[in-house]
Amino acid sequence: MYVIAKREFFSLFKSIKSIIVIAILFLTSFYSAKYSGNLLSEVELSSFEQENIYSAGLMLLILLFGMLFVTGLSHDTINRETHERTIRFLVTRTSKSSIVAGKFFGILLFWIVCLIASFLLISVFSQRISPLILGQTMSLITYQIALTVLLSTIVSRPAFTMFLGVIVGIAFPIISFWLVFGSNSWFGWIKFITPFYYLSKDDLTYLFILPLAAALIGIATQLFKRREC
Amino acid sequence: MIAIETNDLKKAYGKTAVLKGISLQIKKGEIFGFLGRNGAGKSTFINIMTGIANQSSGSFSILGAGGHRNETKKKIGVMPDYSTFYENLSAVDHLRFFSDLSGNPASKEQCIEVLKSVGLHEHVRKKTKKYSFGMKKKLGIAQAIIHDPELLFLDEPTSGLDAESVIHIQKLIFSLQKQGKTIFMTSHNLDEVEKICTRVAIMREGLIIKCGTMDELKSFYRSTMIVKMKHSPISPSGRETLKKWLKGAGTDLIMKDQSLSITVSSEKKIAEIIRALNQSKVDVYGVHVEEPSLQDIFMEA
Repeated sequence: MYVIAKREFFSLFKSIKSIIVIAILFLTSFYSAKYSGNLLSEVELSSFEQENIYSAGLMLLILLFGMLFVTGLSHDTINRETHERTIRFLVTRTSKSSIVAGKFFGILLFWIVCLIASFLLISVFSQRISPLILGQTMSLITYQIALTVLLSTIVSRPAFTMFLGVIVGIAFPIISFWLVFGSNSWFGWIKFITPFYYLSKDDLTYLFILPLAAALIGIATQLFKRREC
Repeated sequence: MIAIETNDLKKAYGKTAVLKGISLQIKKGEIFGFLGRNGAGKSTFINIMTGIANQSSGSFSILGAGGHRNETKKKIGVMPDYSTFYENLSAVDHLRFFSDLSGNPASKEQCIEVLKSVGLHEHVRKKTKKYSFGMKKKLGIAQAIIHDPELLFLDEPTSGLDAESVIHIQKLIFSLQKQGKTIFMTSHNLDEVEKICTRVAIMREGLIIKCGTMDELKSFYRSTMIVKMKHSPISPSGRETLKKWLKGAGTDLIMKDQSLSITVSSEKKIAEIIRALNQSKVDVYGVHVEEPSLQDIFMEA
Protein backbone atom coordinates (compact mmCIF):
# COMPACT_ATOMS: atom_id res chain seq x y z
CA MET A 1 0.00 0.00 0.00
CA TYR A 2 2.77 2.40 0.98
CA VAL A 3 4.66 1.85 -2.31
CA ILE A 4 1.54 2.45 -4.40
CA ALA A 5 0.60 5.52 -2.34
CA LYS A 6 4.12 6.92 -2.77
CA ARG A 7 4.05 6.41 -6.51
CA GLU A 8 0.56 7.93 -6.82
CA PHE A 9 1.60 10.91 -4.69
CA PHE A 10 4.71 11.75 -6.69
CA SER A 11 3.14 11.05 -10.09
CA LEU A 12 0.40 13.60 -9.30
CA PHE A 13 2.98 16.35 -9.03
CA LYS A 14 4.37 15.53 -12.47
CA SER A 15 1.33 16.26 -14.64
CA ILE A 16 0.48 19.59 -16.20
CA LYS A 17 -3.08 19.33 -14.88
CA SER A 18 -1.78 19.08 -11.31
CA ILE A 19 0.42 22.13 -11.76
CA ILE A 20 -2.58 24.10 -13.06
CA VAL A 21 -4.74 23.00 -10.10
CA ILE A 22 -1.96 23.87 -7.62
CA ALA A 23 -1.59 27.27 -9.31
CA ILE A 24 -5.37 27.89 -9.05
CA LEU A 25 -5.34 26.90 -5.37
CA PHE A 26 -2.42 29.14 -4.54
CA LEU A 27 -3.64 32.11 -6.57
CA THR A 28 -7.14 31.86 -5.09
CA SER A 29 -5.72 31.57 -1.58
CA PHE A 30 -3.35 34.47 -2.13
CA TYR A 31 -5.79 36.92 -3.68
CA SER A 32 -8.81 35.99 -1.56
CA ALA A 33 -6.71 36.39 1.58
CA LYS A 34 -5.16 39.61 0.32
CA TYR A 35 -8.44 41.31 -0.56
CA SER A 36 -10.83 39.68 1.91
CA GLY A 37 -9.74 42.24 4.52
CA ASN A 38 -11.58 44.88 2.45
CA LEU A 39 -14.88 43.07 3.15
CA LEU A 40 -14.45 43.54 6.87
CA SER A 41 -14.95 47.29 6.52
CA GLU A 42 -17.84 47.08 4.04
CA VAL A 43 -19.96 44.08 5.13
CA GLU A 44 -21.32 43.32 8.57
CA LEU A 45 -19.98 39.90 9.65
CA SER A 46 -20.19 37.82 12.79
CA SER A 47 -17.04 37.38 14.86
CA PHE A 48 -16.62 33.80 13.54
CA GLU A 49 -16.99 35.03 9.98
CA GLN A 50 -14.56 37.84 10.60
CA GLU A 51 -12.01 35.40 11.98
CA ASN A 52 -12.28 33.09 8.99
CA ILE A 53 -12.83 35.52 6.17
CA TYR A 54 -9.28 34.98 4.91
CA SER A 55 -9.92 31.26 4.29
CA ALA A 56 -13.36 31.82 2.72
CA GLY A 57 -12.04 32.01 -0.85
CA LEU A 58 -10.23 28.71 -0.59
CA MET A 59 -13.14 27.00 1.15
CA LEU A 60 -15.56 28.26 -1.51
CA LEU A 61 -13.20 27.06 -4.24
CA ILE A 62 -13.11 23.55 -2.79
CA LEU A 63 -16.87 23.52 -2.17
CA LEU A 64 -17.70 24.51 -5.73
CA PHE A 65 -14.82 23.10 -7.75
CA GLY A 66 -13.13 20.58 -5.45
CA MET A 67 -14.94 17.63 -6.99
CA LEU A 68 -14.08 18.87 -10.48
CA PHE A 69 -10.42 19.27 -9.55
CA VAL A 70 -10.19 15.82 -7.96
CA THR A 71 -11.95 14.02 -10.81
CA GLY A 72 -9.92 16.02 -13.31
CA LEU A 73 -6.68 14.79 -11.81
CA SER A 74 -7.59 11.29 -10.65
CA HIS A 75 -10.64 10.05 -12.59
CA ASP A 76 -8.52 7.27 -14.09
CA THR A 77 -6.53 6.27 -11.04
CA ILE A 78 -7.82 2.67 -11.12
CA ASN A 79 -9.33 2.19 -14.57
CA ARG A 80 -6.28 3.50 -16.46
CA GLU A 81 -4.23 0.69 -14.91
CA THR A 82 -6.94 -1.85 -15.70
CA HIS A 83 -7.42 -0.58 -19.23
CA GLU A 84 -3.69 -0.61 -20.02
CA ARG A 85 -3.21 -3.84 -18.07
CA THR A 86 -0.42 -2.43 -15.92
CA ILE A 87 -2.69 -3.47 -13.05
CA ARG A 88 -1.49 -7.04 -13.65
CA PHE A 89 1.93 -6.11 -12.33
CA LEU A 90 0.28 -4.81 -9.17
CA VAL A 91 -2.29 -7.53 -8.46
CA THR A 92 0.34 -10.24 -8.84
CA ARG A 93 2.40 -8.54 -6.13
CA THR A 94 -0.05 -7.22 -3.59
CA SER A 95 -3.70 -7.45 -2.57
CA LYS A 96 -6.44 -5.60 -4.38
CA SER A 97 -7.44 -3.83 -1.16
CA SER A 98 -3.86 -2.54 -0.81
CA ILE A 99 -4.04 -1.18 -4.35
CA VAL A 100 -7.28 0.74 -3.72
CA ALA A 101 -6.06 1.98 -0.33
CA GLY A 102 -2.66 2.93 -1.77
CA LYS A 103 -4.26 4.91 -4.58
CA PHE A 104 -6.63 6.64 -2.15
CA PHE A 105 -3.96 7.62 0.36
CA GLY A 106 -1.55 8.74 -2.38
CA ILE A 107 -4.15 11.15 -3.79
CA LEU A 108 -5.19 12.22 -0.31
CA LEU A 109 -1.60 13.02 0.63
CA PHE A 110 -1.23 15.13 -2.52
CA TRP A 111 -4.27 17.19 -1.58
CA ILE A 112 -3.26 17.46 2.08
CA VAL A 113 0.09 18.90 1.00
CA CYS A 114 -1.54 21.30 -1.47
CA LEU A 115 -4.20 22.47 1.00
CA ILE A 116 -1.80 22.89 3.90
CA ALA A 117 0.48 24.92 1.65
CA SER A 118 -2.54 27.04 0.65
CA PHE A 119 -3.56 27.56 4.28
CA LEU A 120 0.00 28.51 5.17
CA LEU A 121 -0.11 31.06 2.36
CA ILE A 122 -3.35 32.44 3.79
CA SER A 123 -1.86 32.57 7.26
CA VAL A 124 0.71 35.07 6.00
CA PHE A 125 -2.20 37.56 5.75
CA SER A 126 -4.47 36.37 8.55
CA GLN A 127 -1.66 35.55 11.01
CA ARG A 128 -3.61 32.43 12.02
CA ILE A 129 -4.93 29.11 10.70
CA SER A 130 -8.53 28.14 11.47
CA PRO A 131 -8.52 24.48 12.57
CA LEU A 132 -12.25 24.25 11.86
CA ILE A 133 -11.99 25.46 8.25
CA LEU A 134 -8.90 23.33 7.70
CA GLY A 135 -10.67 20.26 9.11
CA GLN A 136 -13.81 20.90 7.05
CA THR A 137 -11.80 21.37 3.85
CA MET A 138 -9.77 18.22 4.49
CA SER A 139 -12.89 16.18 5.23
CA LEU A 140 -14.60 17.45 2.10
CA ILE A 141 -11.61 16.65 -0.09
CA THR A 142 -11.33 13.19 1.51
CA TYR A 143 -14.93 12.46 0.53
CA GLN A 144 -14.39 13.78 -2.99
CA ILE A 145 -11.29 11.61 -3.43
CA ALA A 146 -13.14 8.53 -2.16
CA LEU A 147 -16.00 9.20 -4.58
CA THR A 148 -13.51 9.62 -7.45
CA VAL A 149 -11.78 6.33 -6.60
CA LEU A 150 -15.18 4.62 -6.50
CA LEU A 151 -16.11 6.05 -9.92
CA SER A 152 -12.80 4.91 -11.34
CA THR A 153 -13.45 1.40 -10.03
CA ILE A 154 -17.03 1.17 -11.28
CA VAL A 155 -16.42 2.59 -14.75
CA SER A 156 -13.82 0.61 -16.67
CA ARG A 157 -13.07 3.08 -19.46
CA PRO A 158 -10.84 6.09 -18.63
CA ALA A 159 -12.34 8.17 -21.45
CA PHE A 160 -15.78 7.70 -19.95
CA THR A 161 -14.70 8.63 -16.40
CA MET A 162 -13.11 11.79 -17.80
CA PHE A 163 -16.49 12.78 -19.23
CA LEU A 164 -18.36 11.52 -16.16
CA GLY A 165 -15.90 13.33 -13.90
CA VAL A 166 -16.77 16.69 -15.47
CA ILE A 167 -20.51 15.99 -15.14
CA VAL A 168 -20.18 14.83 -11.53
CA GLY A 169 -17.78 17.67 -10.75
CA ILE A 170 -20.33 20.25 -11.90
CA ALA A 171 -23.48 18.50 -10.71
CA PHE A 172 -22.20 17.38 -7.31
CA PRO A 173 -22.09 20.81 -5.57
CA ILE A 174 -25.31 21.98 -7.27
CA ILE A 175 -27.30 18.90 -6.25
CA SER A 176 -25.72 18.87 -2.79
CA PHE A 177 -26.64 22.51 -2.14
CA TRP A 178 -30.16 21.89 -3.46
CA LEU A 179 -30.56 18.89 -1.15
CA VAL A 180 -29.15 20.65 1.91
CA PHE A 181 -30.98 23.95 1.53
CA GLY A 182 -34.08 22.73 -0.33
CA SER A 183 -37.10 21.04 1.19
CA ASN A 184 -37.73 18.14 -1.17
CA SER A 185 -39.31 15.37 0.88
CA TRP A 186 -38.60 12.63 -1.66
CA PHE A 187 -34.88 13.16 -2.08
CA GLY A 188 -34.15 15.02 1.14
CA TRP A 189 -32.62 11.96 2.81
CA ILE A 190 -29.80 11.95 0.26
CA LYS A 191 -28.32 15.01 1.96
CA PHE A 192 -27.17 12.74 4.77
CA ILE A 193 -24.82 10.92 2.43
CA THR A 194 -23.37 14.11 0.94
CA PRO A 195 -20.69 16.05 2.82
CA PHE A 196 -22.36 19.44 2.38
CA TYR A 197 -24.96 18.74 5.05
CA TYR A 198 -22.24 18.14 7.64
CA LEU A 199 -20.38 21.24 6.54
CA SER A 200 -23.37 23.50 7.04
CA LYS A 201 -22.74 23.43 10.79
CA ASP A 202 -19.83 25.26 12.36
CA ASP A 203 -18.85 22.49 14.74
CA LEU A 204 -17.25 19.07 14.65
CA THR A 205 -20.19 17.60 12.69
CA TYR A 206 -17.89 17.59 9.65
CA LEU A 207 -16.16 14.54 11.14
CA PHE A 208 -19.17 12.46 10.02
CA ILE A 209 -17.86 12.92 6.48
CA LEU A 210 -14.89 10.66 7.20
CA PRO A 211 -16.91 7.46 7.84
CA LEU A 212 -18.86 8.24 4.65
CA ALA A 213 -15.57 8.43 2.73
CA ALA A 214 -14.45 5.18 4.35
CA ALA A 215 -17.70 3.55 3.24
CA LEU A 216 -17.12 4.69 -0.35
CA ILE A 217 -13.60 3.26 -0.29
CA GLY A 218 -14.98 0.05 1.24
CA ILE A 219 -17.46 -0.29 -1.64
CA ALA A 220 -14.71 0.46 -4.18
CA THR A 221 -12.49 -2.22 -2.61
CA GLN A 222 -15.22 -4.86 -2.68
CA LEU A 223 -16.05 -4.08 -6.31
CA PHE A 224 -12.39 -4.16 -7.29
CA LYS A 225 -11.87 -7.49 -5.53
CA ARG A 226 -14.59 -9.04 -7.66
CA ARG A 227 -13.28 -7.53 -10.85
CA GLU A 228 -10.83 -9.42 -13.04
CA CYS A 229 -7.82 -7.62 -14.32
CA MET B 1 7.96 -30.71 -2.40
CA ILE B 2 5.00 -29.46 -4.40
CA ALA B 3 5.16 -25.96 -5.90
CA ILE B 4 1.70 -25.87 -7.49
CA GLU B 5 -1.29 -28.07 -6.80
CA THR B 6 -4.73 -27.60 -8.30
CA ASN B 7 -7.83 -29.58 -7.59
CA ASP B 8 -10.70 -29.65 -10.08
CA LEU B 9 -10.15 -26.01 -10.96
CA LYS B 10 -12.95 -24.57 -13.06
CA LYS B 11 -13.55 -21.21 -14.65
CA ALA B 12 -16.54 -20.03 -16.61
CA TYR B 13 -17.44 -16.69 -18.13
CA GLY B 14 -21.22 -16.73 -18.15
CA LYS B 15 -22.19 -19.98 -19.81
CA THR B 16 -18.82 -20.44 -21.47
CA ALA B 17 -16.59 -22.84 -19.58
CA VAL B 18 -12.93 -21.97 -20.09
CA LEU B 19 -11.43 -24.39 -17.58
CA LYS B 20 -13.39 -27.58 -17.08
CA GLY B 21 -11.63 -29.10 -14.08
CA ILE B 22 -7.86 -28.89 -13.95
CA SER B 23 -6.08 -31.12 -11.43
CA LEU B 24 -2.34 -30.78 -11.54
CA GLN B 25 0.74 -31.19 -9.36
CA ILE B 26 4.00 -29.47 -10.17
CA LYS B 27 7.09 -30.26 -8.13
CA LYS B 28 9.62 -27.69 -6.98
CA GLY B 29 12.54 -27.26 -9.36
CA GLU B 30 10.61 -28.30 -12.46
CA ILE B 31 10.34 -26.43 -15.74
CA PHE B 32 6.75 -27.20 -16.55
CA GLY B 33 5.47 -26.51 -20.05
CA PHE B 34 1.83 -25.81 -20.76
CA LEU B 35 0.78 -26.38 -24.34
CA GLY B 36 -2.45 -25.81 -26.13
CA ARG B 37 -4.03 -24.05 -29.03
CA ASN B 38 -5.21 -20.45 -28.75
CA GLY B 39 -8.20 -20.31 -26.44
CA ALA B 40 -7.40 -23.63 -24.78
CA GLY B 41 -7.34 -21.94 -21.36
CA LYS B 42 -3.58 -21.68 -20.69
CA SER B 43 -3.52 -17.97 -19.87
CA THR B 44 -6.72 -18.24 -17.83
CA PHE B 45 -5.03 -20.91 -15.74
CA ILE B 46 -2.01 -18.66 -15.12
CA ASN B 47 -4.27 -15.69 -14.39
CA ILE B 48 -6.06 -17.67 -11.69
CA MET B 49 -2.81 -18.92 -10.19
CA THR B 50 -1.40 -15.41 -9.99
CA GLY B 51 -4.42 -13.48 -8.71
CA ILE B 52 -5.33 -11.75 -11.95
CA ALA B 53 -8.57 -13.75 -12.15
CA ASN B 54 -10.66 -15.75 -9.70
CA GLN B 55 -11.68 -19.37 -10.19
CA SER B 56 -15.36 -20.30 -10.44
CA SER B 57 -14.83 -23.45 -8.39
CA GLY B 58 -12.12 -25.82 -7.26
CA SER B 59 -9.06 -25.07 -5.21
CA PHE B 60 -5.35 -24.55 -5.61
CA SER B 61 -2.26 -24.03 -3.54
CA ILE B 62 0.98 -22.32 -4.41
CA LEU B 63 4.16 -23.11 -2.46
CA GLY B 64 2.03 -24.83 0.14
CA ALA B 65 -0.41 -21.97 0.72
CA GLY B 66 -3.96 -21.93 -0.62
CA GLY B 67 -5.51 -19.08 -2.58
CA HIS B 68 -4.11 -15.64 -3.33
CA ARG B 69 -2.15 -14.82 -0.22
CA ASN B 70 0.06 -11.77 0.04
CA GLU B 71 2.94 -13.77 1.52
CA THR B 72 2.75 -16.16 -1.44
CA LYS B 73 2.63 -13.31 -3.96
CA LYS B 74 6.01 -12.13 -2.72
CA LYS B 75 7.49 -15.53 -3.61
CA ILE B 76 6.20 -15.68 -7.16
CA GLY B 77 7.23 -13.85 -10.29
CA VAL B 78 4.74 -13.37 -13.10
CA MET B 79 5.21 -12.45 -16.71
CA PRO B 80 1.67 -11.94 -18.03
CA ASP B 81 0.78 -12.76 -21.62
CA TYR B 82 0.24 -9.13 -22.54
CA SER B 83 2.74 -6.68 -21.10
CA THR B 84 2.37 -2.94 -21.24
CA PHE B 85 4.39 -0.76 -18.96
CA TYR B 86 4.23 2.74 -17.52
CA GLU B 87 5.29 4.71 -20.58
CA ASN B 88 7.14 7.45 -18.77
CA LEU B 89 9.25 5.19 -16.61
CA SER B 90 12.59 3.70 -17.60
CA ALA B 91 13.37 0.00 -17.22
CA VAL B 92 15.31 0.67 -14.01
CA ASP B 93 12.45 2.74 -12.57
CA HIS B 94 10.05 -0.11 -13.33
CA LEU B 95 12.23 -2.69 -11.65
CA ARG B 96 12.75 -0.52 -8.58
CA PHE B 97 9.01 0.10 -8.27
CA PHE B 98 8.09 -3.56 -8.74
CA SER B 99 10.79 -4.82 -6.37
CA ASP B 100 9.62 -2.34 -3.72
CA LEU B 101 6.07 -3.56 -4.24
CA SER B 102 7.19 -7.18 -3.83
CA GLY B 103 8.75 -6.34 -0.48
CA ASN B 104 12.28 -7.07 -1.64
CA PRO B 105 13.68 -3.70 -2.76
CA ALA B 106 16.43 -3.87 -5.36
CA SER B 107 19.21 -1.33 -5.68
CA LYS B 108 19.90 0.42 -8.98
CA GLU B 109 22.93 -1.83 -9.49
CA GLN B 110 20.83 -4.96 -8.90
CA CYS B 111 18.25 -3.73 -11.41
CA ILE B 112 20.94 -3.13 -14.03
CA GLU B 113 22.33 -6.61 -13.34
CA VAL B 114 18.92 -8.20 -13.95
CA LEU B 115 18.46 -6.13 -17.11
CA LYS B 116 21.84 -7.39 -18.29
CA SER B 117 20.71 -10.96 -17.71
CA VAL B 118 17.78 -10.50 -20.10
CA GLY B 119 19.85 -8.59 -22.65
CA LEU B 120 18.48 -5.10 -22.00
CA HIS B 121 21.65 -3.56 -20.57
CA GLU B 122 21.95 -1.04 -23.40
CA HIS B 123 18.50 0.39 -22.75
CA VAL B 124 18.31 0.73 -18.98
CA ARG B 125 17.61 4.46 -18.98
CA LYS B 126 15.32 4.56 -22.02
CA LYS B 127 11.62 5.18 -21.29
CA THR B 128 9.53 2.16 -22.10
CA LYS B 129 7.35 4.06 -24.59
CA LYS B 130 10.38 3.85 -26.88
CA TYR B 131 10.74 0.10 -26.40
CA SER B 132 10.08 -2.38 -29.18
CA PHE B 133 7.81 -5.42 -28.64
CA GLY B 134 10.81 -7.67 -28.05
CA MET B 135 12.34 -5.27 -25.54
CA LYS B 136 9.06 -5.16 -23.64
CA LYS B 137 9.05 -8.95 -23.54
CA LYS B 138 12.53 -8.93 -22.04
CA LEU B 139 11.50 -6.31 -19.50
CA GLY B 140 8.50 -8.53 -18.71
CA ILE B 141 10.90 -11.32 -17.77
CA ALA B 142 13.17 -8.93 -15.85
CA GLN B 143 10.30 -7.64 -13.71
CA ALA B 144 9.24 -11.21 -13.00
CA ILE B 145 12.65 -12.14 -11.58
CA ILE B 146 13.75 -8.86 -9.96
CA HIS B 147 12.59 -9.87 -6.46
CA ASP B 148 14.26 -13.29 -6.66
CA PRO B 149 11.04 -15.36 -6.55
CA GLU B 150 10.86 -19.10 -5.88
CA LEU B 151 8.25 -19.75 -8.54
CA LEU B 152 7.95 -18.16 -11.96
CA PHE B 153 4.93 -18.00 -14.23
CA LEU B 154 6.00 -17.11 -17.75
CA ASP B 155 3.27 -16.74 -20.33
CA GLU B 156 4.89 -17.22 -23.74
CA PRO B 157 8.25 -15.78 -22.68
CA THR B 158 9.97 -16.04 -26.05
CA SER B 159 7.17 -15.28 -28.50
CA GLY B 160 8.06 -12.36 -30.75
CA LEU B 161 11.77 -12.48 -29.93
CA ASP B 162 14.56 -12.88 -32.48
CA ALA B 163 16.45 -16.19 -32.59
CA GLU B 164 19.44 -14.87 -30.64
CA SER B 165 17.22 -13.50 -27.87
CA VAL B 166 15.25 -16.78 -27.74
CA ILE B 167 18.45 -18.72 -27.06
CA HIS B 168 19.49 -16.12 -24.48
CA ILE B 169 16.17 -16.38 -22.64
CA GLN B 170 16.19 -20.18 -22.79
CA LYS B 171 19.65 -20.17 -21.17
CA LEU B 172 18.33 -17.79 -18.54
CA ILE B 173 15.42 -20.15 -17.80
CA PHE B 174 17.89 -23.04 -17.41
CA SER B 175 20.06 -21.00 -15.07
CA LEU B 176 17.01 -20.05 -12.98
CA GLN B 177 16.13 -23.72 -12.68
CA LYS B 178 19.70 -24.46 -11.57
CA GLN B 179 19.19 -21.90 -8.81
CA GLY B 180 16.32 -24.09 -7.57
CA LYS B 181 13.45 -22.07 -8.95
CA THR B 182 10.32 -23.64 -10.35
CA ILE B 183 9.22 -22.41 -13.74
CA PHE B 184 5.74 -22.72 -15.16
CA MET B 185 5.62 -21.58 -18.75
CA THR B 186 3.29 -21.59 -21.70
CA SER B 187 4.54 -21.57 -25.25
CA HIS B 188 3.47 -22.12 -28.80
CA ASN B 189 7.00 -23.07 -29.72
CA LEU B 190 6.92 -26.86 -29.45
CA ASP B 191 10.64 -27.25 -30.11
CA GLU B 192 11.36 -24.90 -27.25
CA VAL B 193 9.11 -26.80 -24.85
CA GLU B 194 10.64 -30.10 -25.92
CA LYS B 195 14.11 -28.66 -25.40
CA ILE B 196 13.78 -27.02 -22.02
CA CYS B 197 10.79 -28.42 -20.13
CA THR B 198 11.09 -31.29 -17.68
CA ARG B 199 7.35 -31.99 -17.85
CA VAL B 200 4.64 -30.99 -20.26
CA ALA B 201 0.86 -30.77 -20.14
CA ILE B 202 -1.24 -30.52 -23.27
CA MET B 203 -4.49 -28.67 -22.89
CA ARG B 204 -7.52 -28.74 -25.10
CA GLU B 205 -10.83 -26.94 -24.60
CA GLY B 206 -10.27 -26.36 -20.90
CA LEU B 207 -9.02 -29.83 -20.04
CA ILE B 208 -5.57 -31.37 -19.67
CA ILE B 209 -5.60 -34.21 -22.12
CA LYS B 210 -2.05 -35.39 -21.56
CA CYS B 211 0.60 -34.70 -18.93
CA GLY B 212 4.01 -36.18 -18.29
CA THR B 213 7.71 -36.04 -19.04
CA MET B 214 8.76 -35.94 -22.68
CA ASP B 215 9.72 -39.63 -22.50
CA GLU B 216 6.34 -40.56 -21.01
CA LEU B 217 4.49 -38.65 -23.69
CA LYS B 218 6.64 -40.14 -26.43
CA SER B 219 6.23 -43.69 -25.18
CA PHE B 220 2.48 -43.17 -25.01
CA TYR B 221 2.35 -41.95 -28.56
CA ARG B 222 5.09 -44.25 -29.80
CA SER B 223 2.66 -46.49 -31.73
CA THR B 224 4.88 -46.30 -34.78
CA MET B 225 8.47 -45.32 -35.38
CA ILE B 226 10.54 -45.07 -38.50
CA VAL B 227 13.79 -47.08 -38.40
CA LYS B 228 16.57 -46.26 -40.86
CA MET B 229 19.59 -48.55 -41.15
CA LYS B 230 22.89 -48.46 -43.00
CA HIS B 231 24.35 -51.86 -43.74
CA SER B 232 26.86 -53.83 -45.84
CA PRO B 233 25.86 -54.98 -49.36
CA ILE B 234 23.33 -57.84 -49.58
CA SER B 235 23.49 -60.63 -52.16
CA PRO B 236 20.49 -60.69 -54.61
CA SER B 237 19.17 -63.99 -53.19
CA GLY B 238 19.58 -62.88 -49.60
CA ARG B 239 17.93 -59.61 -50.49
CA GLU B 240 14.69 -61.29 -51.61
CA THR B 241 14.50 -63.51 -48.48
CA LEU B 242 15.18 -60.57 -46.25
CA LYS B 243 12.60 -58.41 -48.05
CA LYS B 244 9.95 -61.05 -47.50
CA TRP B 245 10.78 -61.28 -43.81
CA LEU B 246 10.95 -57.49 -43.32
CA LYS B 247 7.50 -57.02 -44.88
CA GLY B 248 6.17 -59.16 -42.05
CA ALA B 249 8.03 -57.13 -39.44
CA GLY B 250 6.82 -53.67 -40.42
CA THR B 251 5.31 -51.40 -43.07
CA ASP B 252 6.49 -48.79 -45.58
CA LEU B 253 9.63 -50.77 -46.37
CA ILE B 254 12.15 -49.07 -48.64
CA MET B 255 15.27 -51.06 -49.50
CA LYS B 256 18.25 -49.53 -51.30
CA ASP B 257 21.73 -50.97 -51.97
CA GLN B 258 23.15 -50.39 -48.53
CA SER B 259 20.30 -48.87 -46.57
CA LEU B 260 16.73 -49.59 -45.60
CA SER B 261 13.86 -47.75 -44.01
CA ILE B 262 10.90 -49.39 -42.29
CA THR B 263 8.08 -48.35 -40.01
CA VAL B 264 7.70 -50.60 -36.96
CA SER B 265 5.30 -50.66 -34.03
CA SER B 266 7.68 -51.39 -31.15
CA GLU B 267 11.31 -51.23 -30.06
CA LYS B 268 11.42 -55.07 -29.94
CA LYS B 269 11.04 -55.14 -33.69
CA ILE B 270 14.21 -53.11 -34.12
CA ALA B 271 16.23 -55.76 -32.27
CA GLU B 272 14.57 -58.49 -34.36
CA ILE B 273 15.49 -56.71 -37.61
CA ILE B 274 19.12 -56.30 -36.54
CA ARG B 275 19.25 -60.00 -35.63
CA ALA B 276 17.73 -60.99 -38.98
CA LEU B 277 20.28 -58.88 -40.86
CA ASN B 278 23.16 -60.41 -38.89
CA GLN B 279 21.88 -63.93 -39.56
CA SER B 280 21.87 -63.07 -43.29
CA LYS B 281 25.58 -62.12 -42.92
CA VAL B 282 24.76 -58.41 -43.29
CA ASP B 283 26.65 -56.02 -41.04
CA VAL B 284 24.67 -53.12 -39.58
CA TYR B 285 26.70 -49.88 -39.65
CA GLY B 286 24.16 -47.55 -38.18
CA VAL B 287 20.60 -47.36 -36.87
CA HIS B 288 18.51 -44.21 -36.66
CA VAL B 289 15.09 -44.25 -35.03
CA GLU B 290 12.74 -41.38 -35.75
CA GLU B 291 10.58 -41.00 -32.65
CA PRO B 292 7.46 -38.87 -32.55
CA SER B 293 8.30 -35.21 -31.89
CA LEU B 294 6.31 -33.08 -29.49
CA GLN B 295 4.73 -31.61 -32.57
CA ASP B 296 3.50 -35.09 -33.60
CA ILE B 297 2.20 -35.72 -30.09
CA PHE B 298 0.54 -32.29 -29.97
CA MET B 299 -1.14 -32.82 -33.32
CA GLU B 300 -2.26 -36.31 -32.36
CA ALA B 301 -3.52 -35.31 -28.90
